[in-house]
Amino acid sequence: MRVRIVNWLVIATFLFIALNILNMEVIQGKKFKNLSNQNCIRLIPQEGSRGRILDRQGNIIVDNNLSYNVMVSSYANIGIDKTLLAAARILNVDFKVLQTTFRNKYIAPFMPTTIAKNIDVKKAIALEELKPDLDNIIIQPYPLRSYPYGRLACHIIGYLNEIDRWRLTKLANYGYKTKDIVGFGGVEEKYDYLLRQEAGGLSVEVDHRGRLVSVLGFKPPSNGKDIQLTIDLKIQKIAEENLKGRNGSVIIMEPYSGEIIALASSSNFNPSVFLKQSDSAVVSLLDNSDAPFINRAISGVYPAGSVFKLVVATAALETGKISLSTAFYCPGSIYIGKQKFSCWDTHNQQNLIGAITHSCNVFFYRTGLLVGAQNIYDYALKFGFSHPTAIDLPYEASGFVPSPLWKKIYRLRNWFEGDTANLAIGQGELLVTPLQITRMMAIFANRGTLVTPYIVKAINGQGVANFKRRAVTLSLKESTINYIRQGLRSVVSDAHGTADLLSDLPVSVAGKTGTAQVAHGQPHGWFVGFFPYQAPKFVICVFLEHGGSGYTSSIVAKQIIESMVKEGVI
Amino acid sequence: MRNINLSILIIAFLIASIGILSIYSSTYQKEGEFWQLIYKRQLLWFILGLLLFLFISNFNYRRFWDMTYFLYAFALFLLFLVFILGIVRLGAQRWLKFLWFNIQPSEIAKLVMVIFLARYFSTKSVDNVSLQVNRLGILRALVLPFLCVAIPMGLIIEQPDLGSGAMLLLVFITMLYLAGVRFRYILIFLLMILLCLPVLWHFLRDYQRDRLLVFLNPNIDPLGAGYTVIQSKIAIGSGGFLGKGWLSGTQSQLRFLPESHTDFIFATFAEEWGFLGSCALLFLYYLLIRQGIAVARRSADNFGRLLAFGISLMLGIQVFVNIAMNLGLAPVVGLPLPLMSYGGSSLFVTFISLGILVNINKTRAVF
Repeated sequence: MRVRIVNWLVIATFLFIALNILNMEVIQGKKFKNLSNQNCIRLIPQEGSRGRILDRQGNIIVDNNLSYNVMVSSYANIGIDKTLLAAARILNVDFKVLQTTFRNKYIAPFMPTTIAKNIDVKKAIALEELKPDLDNIIIQPYPLRSYPYGRLACHIIGYLNEIDRWRLTKLANYGYKTKDIVGFGGVEEKYDYLLRQEAGGLSVEVDHRGRLVSVLGFKPPSNGKDIQLTIDLKIQKIAEENLKGRNGSVIIMEPYSGEIIALASSSNFNPSVFLKQSDSAVVSLLDNSDAPFINRAISGVYPAGSVFKLVVATAALETGKISLSTAFYCPGSIYIGKQKFSCWDTHNQQNLIGAITHSCNVFFYRTGLLVGAQNIYDYALKFGFSHPTAIDLPYEASGFVPSPLWKKIYRLRNWFEGDTANLAIGQGELLVTPLQITRMMAIFANRGTLVTPYIVKAINGQGVANFKRRAVTLSLKESTINYIRQGLRSVVSDAHGTADLLSDLPVSVAGKTGTAQVAHGQPHGWFVGFFPYQAPKFVICVFLEHGGSGYTSSIVAKQIIESMVKEGVI
Repeated sequence: MRNINLSILIIAFLIASIGILSIYSSTYQKEGEFWQLIYKRQLLWFILGLLLFLFISNFNYRRFWDMTYFLYAFALFLLFLVFILGIVRLGAQRWLKFLWFNIQPSEIAKLVMVIFLARYFSTKSVDNVSLQVNRLGILRALVLPFLCVAIPMGLIIEQPDLGSGAMLLLVFITMLYLAGVRFRYILIFLLMILLCLPVLWHFLRDYQRDRLLVFLNPNIDPLGAGYTVIQSKIAIGSGGFLGKGWLSGTQSQLRFLPESHTDFIFATFAEEWGFLGSCALLFLYYLLIRQGIAVARRSADNFGRLLAFGISLMLGIQVFVNIAMNLGLAPVVGLPLPLMSYGGSSLFVTFISLGILVNINKTRAVF
């Protein structure tokens, strides 16, 4: 009896064990299989390097340097303290700090944990020497952006930072992930997809102490594509130096193709502050009232002032409302309706060329009234105002040109002749970007085509000019262009021209100054021109925010052209 | 009969061979002469064990009856010796250095206690030829034999080797049951143990308490006391239906599983051979124990019968506790898997036990 019971008990226990094994190996097998893989498989990411940014001669503006990350691989926390203690000694960090870093950064047992970033070569070598004793330490070379010229061209380049929520939602479909480093602003943002490297990595098998046993798989990282800009570093440097930190921008463009040779905006920032992840430096930049992150050349909108008179002049000549023989007398001011509109000086009887030379307001009030607001508006749009120029940089502003219809719809008011007069001298609601003004000047330099400015010349050595938007021929009358060019030249060459101080330069410059009145503070100063006069190679636009007058801007322009001559780049 | 004898030998041979394969696999990737020697040593123990088996199977088991008290004294002597000269390994003092190898007296003590109990409960009174166990009073049926078992058990637990101690207790209870001691007494004994448990808790070492707590919930200390159980479960579970293949178990090869060649050899085996392999192994063990029980049931001699039962159940309990421990169903106690785990003492004692079984079977035929 008892024997039989014992017999049954034996059978029951064996069945019990068999059922338990069935449960673990077959029913829950998958779960344990995963756990087993997590134990012994580690993924070690390897970064490719982001594409470099070069200037038109192939000089490197933005490069990558090798920096080193320290990672610790282990099964959970076994043996970690010994490694951290040794690492703390070399890295000169408190052991406790390193421990907290490890705990915070720890993601999963199969991912090595990064405990220190961007350490220098000496420390990396010192840590590498520890490897025979501490086999779970991984020193990983990591390409890091370097900016050999510091702040130079920072607005063109942009900076790198961890992807934000807004970009992530937009870019998730293109394979961007949280914690990715992406470009913010400039070429870094616009061409991020091309510059972007693709991370590869090793999947390795490790033992219980995190030691590498074998390599299971390897996917080589791929590097981003190099981007060559149309920027000439020498000229860019000259432009930025002559801004001397004043808020404003300088654009130098090739008038026929629209290649941007230099594009400076001030105040600026050093893109490398974002590499150090020190928040205080970034916050102080963001709090800066000079808005150093704004690229004033393309994102800043300002009243155009007198430089807009060229649009009115073109419209007047093209529509035949005036000719070269048309002349107006300037007594210093005129009344339009009950309002007095004044000029900055008194001028005698003068024709168009004289009016451009002296930047006479009264002449253009009258011309503007003759041409009419609608015509001015149409020609402004023809010249590319009120729309982005489609330069290959992000965050370009479109500016604004008011029209009678707009005023009716949005302001619920009638358009008065006073509004036309204001528009004719580039004041009022008109807003433009320095780049739009540069492009307008290029029309006179290249005799009648509206170019699309661009800044990227080649990607990975392959030219992209063919993919750019074609220049638009505006089919202006030859005579119109000739008259205005004459006017622009005499602004410089005439003894009473507003920019006559540029006349003693070894190159013949033509241009127009502008002093844009603003509601608060000093007026903005514009100088926009091209040189050499006969066969233009460069269009230059100097804009100084609250610079006082067009005169100050023409001083900057003169210094820039002088330096360019000295450097022999003209 | 011959049949049984042969099948015991074949099954033992098979299990021990599987054991050597698993030990080879678990030490395969470990560097150093020590690890590479392990499976060779086990092979040596195995051959010596087979010789012992052949010798014991031709050694009349009745002689053990005569030698019982000597063996008992010898076992106690060895256990005392462990206290004085024992080698401390893995935090426990369980081994004696003897010539060029280490022996584990607790393994010997287990078998000796089975022999001792078999003799104790098969004693006949001088005047009556019939067994008198079921007529014994509580003192002679329970208290006296328990005291005799308690001395070596106490010594073993103090080593500390809770597993072997608990094993002895279980063997004792099953022997009481099969010897025909009144069921009442057995119940009283079980009750006493239950009542004593809280008291015993205070006598446990810290690590033993940890292990028991971890058994209830391995996740309270996943990197300390619970580590082994978790890794063992992962090893077994990840084996799946067919296993990862010999020499390919990541848990044991990459050393996530501690003690993979001794107490956790089953997990090593199950990881590489999967559900099919584990069931086959389990079936072999079942067949072995069934042969033992068959021998016991056929034996006309009371001593032989109890001895065969004791040996079979001792093996059965060890297999059960060890595998349950591997599966996380029993607390981690240092108990080897008979015939599989690395270790000469355990292998020798198991082969001797099987030899005795065969001899009991043979001797019955002679009567």
